[in-house]
Amino acid sequence: MTNEPASGVARTVPSRRIVYGEALRRFMLRPESTAIAAVLILFVVFTILSPALFPTKLTYISIMAIASELGILSIGVTLLMIGGHFDLSVGAVLGLTSYVCVVLMRDFGLSPVIAAPVAVAVGALLGGLNGYVVVRFRIHSFVVTLGTMLIWRGVLIALTGGFPMTVDIPVVFKNVMSGPLIFGFRMSMVWFFAITLLATILLTRSRLGNWIQARGQNENAARNLGVPVDRVTIILFVLTSALAAVAGIIQVARFSSVDALRGEGMELQAVAVTVIGGTLLSGGYGSVVGTMLGAITFGMIQVGLVLAGAPGHFFRTLTGVIVVGAVILNTDVARRMARSKPLGGFKRSSAAADAAIQAGAAAEKGEAG
Amino acid sequence: MSEPLNPDQPPTRARPSGAGSGELEASRRTIEPIPPGAVPVMEADHISKGFGATTALVDVSLKAYSGRILALLGDNGAGKSTLIKILSGVFPPDGGTLRFNGQDVVLRNPAEARERGIATVFQDLAVCELLSVTRNIVLGREPQKGFGPFKFLDLKKADAMARSALHQLGVRWERGLDEKGINISGGERQSLAIARAMFFGSSLLILDEPTSALAVRQAGKVLDHILTARDQGQAVILITHNFRHALSVADDITVLAQGRVAGHFRRDETDLDALTDLVARVG
Repeated sequence: MTNEPASGVARTVPSRRIVYGEALRRFMLRPESTAIAAVLILFVVFTILSPALFPTKLTYISIMAIASELGILSIGVTLLMIGGHFDLSVGAVLGLTSYVCVVLMRDFGLSPVIAAPVAVAVGALLGGLNGYVVVRFRIHSFVVTLGTMLIWRGVLIALTGGFPMTVDIPVVFKNVMSGPLIFGFRMSMVWFFAITLLATILLTRSRLGNWIQARGQNENAARNLGVPVDRVTIILFVLTSALAAVAGIIQVARFSSVDALRGEGMELQAVAVTVIGGTLLSGGYGSVVGTMLGAITFGMIQVGLVLAGAPGHFFRTLTGVIVVGAVILNTDVARRMARSKPLGGFKRSSAAADAAIQAGAAAEKGEAG
Repeated sequence: MSEPLNPDQPPTRARPSGAGSGELEASRRTIEPIPPGAVPVMEADHISKGFGATTALVDVSLKAYSGRILALLGDNGAGKSTLIKILSGVFPPDGGTLRFNGQDVVLRNPAEARERGIATVFQDLAVCELLSVTRNIVLGREPQKGFGPFKFLDLKKADAMARSALHQLGVRWERGLDEKGINISGGERQSLAIARAMFFGSSLLILDEPTSALAVRQAGKVLDHILTARDQGQAVILITHNFRHALSVADDITVLAQGRVAGHFRRDETDLDALTDLVARVG
């Protein structure tokens, strides 16, 4: 970001004001800008509301614990959404795979070193099923995963009988998944950052990433050029559910338990996080780093409101306001910025500008139709 | 491309033999007859196809030769799109045979057609709007580096491939290769798609209405690139309903009407009036 203005400078050197202006304009066009703005604004607001409690290390640790679990889940949803699909079943998959992990350890006496990979494999399988149904029967993924969400949730309630199940987990495993680091932060944060990095590389620097973006932008063009779009779809669903399972295992390690409602509602939180992070709801474009910041936004709202002494239901309301605000910023404002001329002597081309224009065009098409 | 353009008249390549001054300038004045014994790259032999109660194609035959452009003319509903879908493997014909380089072939799916070197450029399916020029060109055939499971896009090589693909077709690309699809004009999209197909080894180019929805100047550029493709030995099937475009670049013209071949001509055997009459009569 920092050297961008310098590289775009034309023959004449623009004034410092123009350079900063253009840098700001370009920053606003990045998919992550809304989420960064949300993080900064919320930090200031919550610090003002509870100056003694909010800006403390303990708060940051709580925020990152929430953000990590939701974030890992949301990264899968983000990749899937860039590929042009939805997955409403991730919350239920998280619950069911957590159950599998707990039962394998508690009732079968298996080591978590076996139970955790098995749970991830079960998640991958459930995701594969979603993907297969979407591809084979050409049904919109929204409907398919709405169905599987209800099915897996029902199965989980039946299996647990509605009661929470606790399990003793070896300390080593607990520490590896969610234990405290040297600075007091939880290990889950390390996994979260690592998965963010890997997913970013996958999306921007691999062939599959290119195919995911192409699938989300123009499925027929991609298919016509030999991109195995159906395979890409199935891989995306497998990945999404496997990441849901990873998030589930981290929660199992943190709580040493599972219950029938584990993960419920997280499928929509993941969509909210993804959208705050600047990924287009219509697919084809987005940012994993944005999703990471979106998850941190979420954690801040949750912890900040408690510290500010707000009633519990405030959480949903404020989240809703931020989601709507983020979408407005990400589409409407970004579109206007994208159409605005670059300040003196800068080149126009920018991925974010193009995405904003296209999102606007899609929205206009939707209104017309 | 700097000469003034007549709105009805696509620009033509400067060719020694083609510098005529007719009402409609043609790419080459005299069209050599197909040499005896030449094997068509693609031959459709008495193809028929129906969908339920409707008959889309009856007994349609055509031949596309290397280094020649075959224009497929016809009104909406004449069966043009059904025919190209059969030729590009989207679905099989009910009756008749396809021959590719003289051999009977059954194209089970578009991928199989593509592997044989049949490249179809659909009008609205040319680019992904938020991918760069480079990424669009190498899409589906991305160069990779690394080994085992650790393979990454070789973006440098991809840029080189994109540059040479565009250069091969004579496309002048003055903007960056990182320009996104959304900023590429309709004509450039067609040219990019043709360049991509040729670069990856097509021998038959099927172009579906490449010039419709284009401004005159852009259409001219696209036709120009189609001529370059022909000169480099591609067999081209050009689907169009623009008679002028067909007459200005094609070597052979087949007119489809109501699912049948209404006429087949060498370009210099016919003219705009004759074609218009024919279509008005049978269509």
